[in-house]
Order: sequence, then structure tokens, then C-alpha cells
Amino acid sequence: MSANASLGRGLFLALVTAVYVFLMLPIAIVVALSFNSARSLSFPPQGFSLRWYVAFFQSEPFMDAFVLSLWLAALATATAVLIATPAAIYYVRHGGRWRELFRLYVLAPLLLPEILTAIALLFFYYEIGIGTKTVVGLYIGHVVVCLPFVFLQVTASLYNLSPSLEEAARSLGAVPLTTFRRITLPLIKPGVINGALFAFIISFDNVSISLLLKGIGTTTLPMQMFDYLRWGSDPTTAAASTVSIVMTLGAVLLVDRFVGLRAMRY
Amino acid sequence: MNGLSRGKLLLAAPIGVALFVFLVLPYLTIVVMSFRVPSTTAAYAPGFTIANYAKALTDELYIGTLVDTLRIALTITVICLLLGYPVAFHLARTPSRWRGLLYGLVLSPLLVGVVIRSFGWIILLANNGVINQWLVSMDMPRVRLMYNEFGVILALVHIFLPFMVLPLVGAIQGIDPKLEEAARSLGASRRRVFLRVLLPLSLPGIQSGTILVFVLACGAYVTPMLLGAGRVHTTTTSVIQLLEQFLWPFGAALSLVLAVVGLLAVALYVRLSARWMRGLA
Repeated sequence: MSANASLGRGLFLALVTAVYVFLMLPIAIVVALSFNSARSLSFPPQGFSLRWYVAFFQSEPFMDAFVLSLWLAALATATAVLIATPAAIYYVRHGGRWRELFRLYVLAPLLLPEILTAIALLFFYYEIGIGTKTVVGLYIGHVVVCLPFVFLQVTASLYNLSPSLEEAARSLGAVPLTTFRRITLPLIKPGVINGALFAFIISFDNVSISLLLKGIGTTTLPMQMFDYLRWGSDPTTAAASTVSIVMTLGAVLLVDRFVGLRAMRY
Repeated sequence: MNGLSRGKLLLAAPIGVALFVFLVLPYLTIVVMSFRVPSTTAAYAPGFTIANYAKALTDELYIGTLVDTLRIALTITVICLLLGYPVAFHLARTPSRWRGLLYGLVLSPLLVGVVIRSFGWIILLANNGVINQWLVSMDMPRVRLMYNEFGVILALVHIFLPFMVLPLVGAIQGIDPKLEEAARSLGASRRRVFLRVLLPLSLPGIQSGTILVFVLACGAYVTPMLLGAGRVHTTTTSVIQLLEQFLWPFGAALSLVLAVVGLLAVALYVRLSARWMRGLA
């Protein structure tokens, strides 16, 4: 009986460990092979080398894509923060009868299938005549999918903030803008930063929106990697992947260290 | 007072307008597009028709692909549930001080883009990939692991597993461990405790996790394109192909058919699972 139970316990732990390994394996292998000195993606690695990182940073298509991705993510994040933060304040502090409907409306980009949103935007751009000639369409698409993440984070931090603080400021004569600038904003800053972090990562990693809305000459880093992988793979893509993983991980650790990371709640 | 409430509305106005212009109007456009007349020289010809829907719902090729898509999505959902439940249980109940780290391990794939994760699976599963190189070195024959449904399903299970684990951890954490202890002390076997206590009480988590994964799997197209490489056809990859060939009206109709069928499947599932969950509250 007891032997049986400990056998079951052992099997359970083995299964759980196997799933953890399964989750990490493909990511670990990309990182490991980016340092491989061999000419192809062979395993086990034949020696340590940074040649693929050199190749990545010297590759014009990869660098152009990398820079575009950074700009796009930064701009989309900034726009999403500017639009979604007031919306979160409206929802938590003032929203009336249509409150829940408003929340659903704001979360819609998250609830709708991304591919459908991308197709819808593609048709819409065509109909209004901007097509996909510029990077603007891509930028708008990224803002739309980033909005819910900022909204959710700011909403969560507003719930933890007592309205009486704002009321106190106002009763002491502060106008709404001053109250916001001196009381509300400093207190919800961690939520805003966390929302911005999520938005940045969502935009930086996004490919399903980008692939459909790409204009001529607008290639983001994930799109560039997608193209490389479609026509065979080479270790430069592994180096590009590792750079992008390190970047997101670095951003997460920085935010965690300075303002504290918050879990995403839907 | 009126001025004040107008001021408040100003907070909601930017997002209201932005989402109306760049979400509501585009979705209306896709609906309108699905009724347009296909053309070989432009995006569409003048006039409206229901021929696109007729074709999407009767053409055996597209019906077959739709059934495949739902079958693949269902397979992924079931595998994610079977793999995710033990992990969620472990995460929710482990007293280990590594809990935070393990939690991070489950969440970290979310920080890594879909392309990179598909790339990892390509390295592992390709015909001269890590697994096949290992097989050859052991004097075993190569196995075709990619460019087929197996590879696509495996990679998508990996990509969506965190979405299953998260709601399950929440649900299991909400179950008081005393309930399990009580059942055990009254003589129930582990199996029975699981089937009669744990499983029924975690049904809400199972429901949200399975719906989330199923919906995401129905809409996936990047991974099927990379790991299926034209040999695995889902409705989403067909839609992408149609868009590339500028067959927009039919592509629109097909993508909306998939969305509605997926929604109906979820609605049916919610109805059925409501019966199992009755009396839980």
C-alpha cells in the first residue's frame, strides 16, 4: 500500500518534471546552438563561438528589422499607455451603467482571434486607401493589440488605491489635473510600467499581426526570422532569437527589480 | 455637473474612438468583404453575393480542412489538459521554496515569441534535426517528425500549455486542501479523492483553460506554416493562401465561417459542461 503510494508519487513527480523539461527544451536548444561554432545547426555543439552574433549584428536585413522592431514596440507602447491609462481611470473611478460593457469593449482585441483582427485591418486599410504602403498600418495594428494589456495592469493598480487619497487632495483645493499628477499618477506608476512592459513584449514578439499588415520594406525582427525559417534555417537566426530573448528577459528583470513585477489577471 | 461628467467622458473618449475606427469598422469591413463578388483583376468586383459562403460551406476541400482544423485544435486542447493538470496541481500545492522559480518556468515561454519557439521545434524535429541525428547515431532509422500533423500539434501544445496551466493553478489553489484530507481520512483512495473531490471542484478552471487553448489553436497560423510547411492544411493557412492570391472575398467568408463554427463549438461545450458543473457554485 505504502510502496504503491510512493510509486504513484514518484510517477507523478516524473511526469511533472518531464513537462517542465518539455517547456524549456526548445528554447534552451535555440540559445545553446547560437553559440555553436559549426556551420550548420548540428547537435551536439562543436565548440563555443560568437561568430553567429557577429553575423547577426553585421547582417543588414537583420539589423534593419531589429531597429524597426524596437522603434515599433516603443511607439506602440507609448501610444497604448497614453490611451489606455485614462480609460482604466474612467472604468475604475467613474464608469456608470455601461461599465462592464466598456471593459469588454476595451478587452476586445485580446478576446478576438488575432488573425481575424489582422485580416479585418488589412481590408479596412485597403478600403480607406492607405493600403499597406507605409509602416503606419503596422503601428496601428500593434497599438490595438497592446491596449488591453495596459488597461488590465492599470486597472489592477487603481483597485489597490483608495479613492479617499484623491478625494483628500481635491478637498484641499487641488484641481483634478493636479490631483492626477501629484497623487494618482505616482501611486499607479508601477501598474503603468508593468502595463508598458507587457505591451512592449507583445509588440516586440508579434508576428501574426505583422505578417498580414507588412508593407513594402517593413520587416520586423520576428518577420525576418519567419522568412529565414521558411526557406531553411541557419545559425544566424539562433543568434537573433537569443538576442531577442535576452532583451525581453532583461526588461522583465529590470521592471521586477525597480517596481516589482505583477501577475497578469484577466 | 454637466461639465464634470463631460470631463470624465473625455477619459474614455480616446480609446472609444480608437477602437471604433481601428477595430469595429475593420470587422464591419471584413463582413462586407465576405459578401463581395470575387474578381480576378481587382480585390473585388461590384455587387454583392452569398456565393462565397455557399462555396465555403459546400466545397469538400474546405469542409475537410475545417474538420481537420477543429480536430487538430481539439487534440491540442486535450493533450494540454492532460499535461497541464499535474503541473498545475504541483504548482498549486508544492511547499517547495523553488515554487516561484517553477512558476516562472511555466510562464517564461510566454515571453518568447512564437517564431522562436517554432524554431526550437524545427531544430529538434527536422529530418536532420537533433532527434534524428541522435537516432542515426544509435543505428536507428530516421523518423519523420516534422512537415506533418505530429510536428504541428507538438509545437502548438508547447506554445499553448501555459494558457492551460494558469487558470488551472488558480482553480486548484481555490480548493481547500482540508477537503482532500477529510476524504482521505474517511478512507477514500487517492484515485477516489481525485475523481470525487479535486476534479469536480477544479472544473471551472478546466473550462476556462480548455476554451482558451481551443480558441487559440483554431486561430494559429504561424506555427502550422513553419512546421507544416505546406503539407499540413488548416482553415487559417488556407485563408492566408487566399489572401496572398488576392482572393479576398472568399478568404473573408472562410475566416468568418471558422470564427462562427469555433464560437458555436465553444457555446455547445459551455452548455454541456454547465450540466457537469451544476451544484458546484
